[in-house]
Amino acid sequence: MPNSKRPRVTLPLGASHAVLLTPATIMIVLFMIVPIVLAAYLSFTDWDGLTPNPQSVGWDNYTRLLHDADVGHAAIVTLIVTVVGTLACNAAGLGLALLLNRPGRLNTVLRAVVFYPYVIGPIIIGFLWSAILGANGAIAHVFSNAGHSPLPFLSDPTWAIGSIVAVVVWSQFGVNVVLYLAGLQTVPPALHEAARVDGAGRWQTFRSVTWPMLAPSVTVNLVLVLVGLLRVYEIVLALTGGGPAGRTNTFAFLILSESFRANHLGYGAAQAITLMVVIAALALGLTALRRRAEDAVTA
Amino acid sequence: MTKLLKALAALVMLVPGYLLVVNAFKSQDDITRSPFGIPFDRLSLDHLGAALSNPDFAITKAYVVTALFAVAVNVLSLAVSAPAAYVIARGTRLRHRTLLGLFLVGLFIPSQVLVIPVIYVLKYLGLMGTVTGFLLYETTLTLPVSMFLYVAYIKTLPRELDEAARVDGAGPIVTFWRVILPLMRPAVATAVVLHTIGVWTDFVNPQIILGPGSSLYTVTTSVYAAIGRYSTDFTVVYPNLLMAVAPVLVFFVLLQRNIVSGLTAGATKG
Repeated sequence: MPNSKRPRVTLPLGASHAVLLTPATIMIVLFMIVPIVLAAYLSFTDWDGLTPNPQSVGWDNYTRLLHDADVGHAAIVTLIVTVVGTLACNAAGLGLALLLNRPGRLNTVLRAVVFYPYVIGPIIIGFLWSAILGANGAIAHVFSNAGHSPLPFLSDPTWAIGSIVAVVVWSQFGVNVVLYLAGLQTVPPALHEAARVDGAGRWQTFRSVTWPMLAPSVTVNLVLVLVGLLRVYEIVLALTGGGPAGRTNTFAFLILSESFRANHLGYGAAQAITLMVVIAALALGLTALRRRAEDAVTA
Repeated sequence: MTKLLKALAALVMLVPGYLLVVNAFKSQDDITRSPFGIPFDRLSLDHLGAALSNPDFAITKAYVVTALFAVAVNVLSLAVSAPAAYVIARGTRLRHRTLLGLFLVGLFIPSQVLVIPVIYVLKYLGLMGTVTGFLLYETTLTLPVSMFLYVAYIKTLPRELDEAARVDGAGPIVTFWRVILPLMRPAVATAVVLHTIGVWTDFVNPQIILGPGSSLYTVTTSVYAAIGRYSTDFTVVYPNLLMAVAPVLVFFVLLQRNIVSGLTAGATKG
């Protein structure tokens, strides 16, 4: 038989699938699902990290969380950073994408220029900006050399929150530019052509052609920034260290610093679970809300 | 107007980078007296040299360590996620969709917060403070994005390929290895770009899992250690930041196009 193949040992189909699926499944279960379940369990206990048998305390950790002034303050800071940051990143991202949505060498260079912070990473960005905005930093010296008193970018609580938002937007909106540019590529030029023939102006074309066609891009960008900003940690650590006096603690920052002050790990777990639930709920809620806008495009 | 806005955006983005580069070559005196100036006759490589040869946190060693971590995470991530993505992408049953959902939940889990309960799991396994433990967790964090990309990509490959392989007597494992994996190159390239940047810029996980006790520093943790104590000595701050950033900027300039397309695919595929 010229066509004969050498005999092969083949596993039954189910076993082959199991071989292919198992390693990844074990990893995600062991390092994501189990830790989350564990944290959820610990959040209902008074575990201090030392005693072998954590005692159940019911919802105590969660009610304590509601009345904790530090948590409340961190939640407000996180809310401000997230809301303002998400809006600013998307406005700046879409705005610049519209300006850059034309082939050309200069536009390619500028696209690279706006998103290089992405490869530098938040901890380095935080240090760099603290060297610029700090009490002893570059801008302060420019002011004092000119005989003015320096602005309290990082030393006044309100200014410091503003600085965090500004640095976060500076470091993230380049990604939005790139994603909105990709979204703009999907708008068929024929539609713009048709709008122009119908005598629509620039704003009208944007309002009734570009914007609705961009709906899926807007969803992706909103969810991405939102999820990213709710967990802002490294920039805060390097820029303000949560200061002055804990006034710029974000929720993620609070959780990480609390958890290592030990002794109340159950409480730390309750904070962690709360943040995870909030992020998941907002991401899913926003996606569901945006589906209407997206359906309008495809309909 | 358009030109003005573009110029403004470029200025805002580039000034911090300019300060980072220029001040790495200046003395403390020159930095504070004129942060934006370039004193051409007094520029020196001494401070960069000092950052390079700092015995406590050897940045050159950190480069090697971080690069090896990035390679290990990428290899491990591909090895576990591509086969699983193949079965899930070809599967039609509820359990396949459920499993995919399980992976995609990871996209919304903040790794900085997840790491705390992960510590207990690693301690239980005896892997806390070890490279193995760090690599396993760091790789797990890449799986959601990998699965997202790979499943979407494999779905675009015609099923006829699988059928032809089956007619030739190949089981799923051989089909994956010989037929599907070689075709996955573009998706793998995207994942590698994203994960490499992810590992290189990650700070929380190496800081917490490897910790100062392991004496293994990545670029970010060594910069944190080097700067932490001397944040007002700008002849320490700027050179260290520049050393940390230099390799990624080279990587960025060379691979800019791939990073842009990787980012886009990473956020929108599927």
